[in-house]
Amino acid sequence: MTHVTLRQGGFAVALALLLVFVAFAYGREPATDATGTVDLPPIPYSSESTVQPLRVVSSTVGRPRLLSDVDGISRYMGVEKPVAARSTPSRSGRVVARLSTRTPEGTTNVVLALRRVERRGSLWIQARLPVLPNNTLGWIPRDALGGYNQVTTHLVVKLSAFRATLYRGRKPIWNARVGVGLSRWPTPRGEFYIRNKLTKYSSPTYGPIAFGTSARSAVLTDWPAGGFVGIHGTNRPQLIPGRISHGCIRLHNADIRRLAALMPPGTPLSIR
Amino acid sequence: MSDHLTLEAVDADGAIREAFEDAGGTSRAGFFKKAFAAGGSLTLGGILIGGLPAIGSAAPSPANDVKILNFALTLEYLEAEFYTRASASGALSGEARELSRVVGGHERAHVAFLKGALGAKAVKKPTFDFKGTTEDQKLFLATARVLEDTGVAAYNGQGPNLTKATLPAAASIVSVEARHAAWVRDILRQNPAPKAFDDALSMPAILKAVTGTGFITG
Amino acid sequence: MTDKLTLAAVDRDGAIEEMLDKIDGEAAASRGIFLKKSAVLSGGLIGGGALLGTLAKNADAATATDADIANFALTLEYLEAAFYTEAVQMGALSGDVARFARIVAAHERTHVAALKKMLGAAAVASPSFNFQGTTESQAKFKATAQVLEDTGVMAYAGQAPRIQSTAILKAALAIHTVEARHASWIRHINGAPPAPVGFDKPKTMQQILAAVTGTGFISSGPAMTASGSNPSFTG
Repeated sequence: MTHVTLRQGGFAVALALLLVFVAFAYGREPATDATGTVDLPPIPYSSESTVQPLRVVSSTVGRPRLLSDVDGISRYMGVEKPVAARSTPSRSGRVVARLSTRTPEGTTNVVLALRRVERRGSLWIQARLPVLPNNTLGWIPRDALGGYNQVTTHLVVKLSAFRATLYRGRKPIWNARVGVGLSRWPTPRGEFYIRNKLTKYSSPTYGPIAFGTSARSAVLTDWPAGGFVGIHGTNRPQLIPGRISHGCIRLHNADIRRLAALMPPGTPLSIR
Repeated sequence: MSDHLTLEAVDADGAIREAFEDAGGTSRAGFFKKAFAAGGSLTLGGILIGGLPAIGSAAPSPANDVKILNFALTLEYLEAEFYTRASASGALSGEARELSRVVGGHERAHVAFLKGALGAKAVKKPTFDFKGTTEDQKLFLATARVLEDTGVAAYNGQGPNLTKATLPAAASIVSVEARHAAWVRDILRQNPAPKAFDDALSMPAILKAVTGTGFITG
Repeated sequence: MTDKLTLAAVDRDGAIEEMLDKIDGEAAASRGIFLKKSAVLSGGLIGGGALLGTLAKNADAATATDADIANFALTLEYLEAAFYTEAVQMGALSGDVARFARIVAAHERTHVAALKKMLGAAAVASPSFNFQGTTESQAKFKATAQVLEDTGVMAYAGQAPRIQSTAILKAALAIHTVEARHASWIRHINGAPPAPVGFDKPKTMQQILAAVTGTGFISSGPAMTASGSNPSFTG
């Protein structure tokens, strides 16, 4: 067949081809209806609900799972109900401490979550507690706590070196000289966490920003509001570095401003 | 290469076949690719024919809804018949048999619904030849997976072209097709949800894919 | 004609894989619509209750804007992304369930990213979540995931007909069917019917928000800062 023949038969062929596609797609060409509407019948939904209600299913006892200090991730949780922390993950465990939902500063009382275990269908969290004696751990029913909040930072204070270093993962991202507790009011050693951050207060003694920690003075046990150790600025920077305080960790104001930009509350704190 | 039966019927003197080769395709796929490259119009021997783009991709309107629902109905006819024959073939066992029963029931219900919606405007059911895929469990599952994934892509492609009144119906069907697709894929130990966003294909692309199967014989 | 040809014919030119529309390309155009219309919602931290209240206010108003709908979808995706990501991290899952969680977590994070990009400055911030142990036990995870995915299907189906912008609608439809795949998948894992009915039922924004509120998953998160009063630390 030559092109000439094709051109002549072209239109008829093309039309036939078009009809092929239309015929395939639509069967017999429907009668054109300029107002063509689709009268949609009601969609035949089933009358049953297909969404299962949430059923809490008990499961087998599991090994404790690490929640913090793993791959540089730590997790803290808010205390949502007043609750007893116990020595074992059991309702009959000895009460180690009673936790309230608020700190003296009015922020949410939080705990650093270390491990999780399931016992008889209930979850228990082993947590660092903001109580005396320092470094106390306790088991808390998970349903008294809020959601998991993650941090990747870790603050390490070396008392004899008078230095604090902030790490993100394993990488140091900030450091500064510090003032620490006098011998008679020592800054406690151990593992703690940053509890809250305070700003816009009037006292210059604490500088522009103060962090509350879960650490407490072991000697100033009568201190109002529990004698919690803070990390804060100062109006006497010339004393830093040195043993200068009632237990708090003091920083130059410029250093604490930089720290506040990098360290979220909830960050674990090691004092060595 | 499977020849389209209807094409052969009109190509008595081979004129179309020559034009086909002339258009640069030695394969059906190549021909269609060129044909649809210009957005769905067919070019034959230098003559440009307005093709499918006017259908199904114009602004939403009740008339366009008719065309789109008939497109959907054609696909549902195909799926329904596929599962019906597979269930009747006796070749399926275990979960594949259960799937064919359940999914076939859904597709038959989709057909009934769309026919009811279209009334006198509904296209007639085509004739099918599933080329043995309804008679062998492995082929059945592989084909079912393709059909269901295609159905999802077809409905998602047309969703934006439907009027707001008709879209709810398409939405309640397409998610069921997606459930079917994931079910088959999981049986086959393939990823039930291979993408974060499902493909949406145009009517020409779907028709090309379906035509290529050769399942529709008239 | 061989049997193999039938399948090959369908996939031969990658017809199934062909994406004819890129969602991203139209996102910038639609953003203009959002910035004009979204008066109610703004970026920045909103407590969980406040966020739900804000969304509920516009829930079924005839004037719900595309921004409201997209932010509703974004909130659900924030929830799903956080749920699956935490479940993967908590390490209580194994086998097929773990694989499901990993793949779905990645999808939901992609959905979050896409919706945030489409909304731009109009995107709501993520709420805080408390999944109350449902990410920490395989049995609870399986049950919760099934409910979340079925709910997501109903949420998108309910909103699709209300969306004005074609770009947003295309994104919603493309996500809607993926949520349905997720739902079918976890149901299959759970031994539940993957496709329980022939026509999936939509739910209104009010209904979905009520269901989500009922889980208690959206919480306001702990208050970690205070101002005004002098510290009472030892000093």
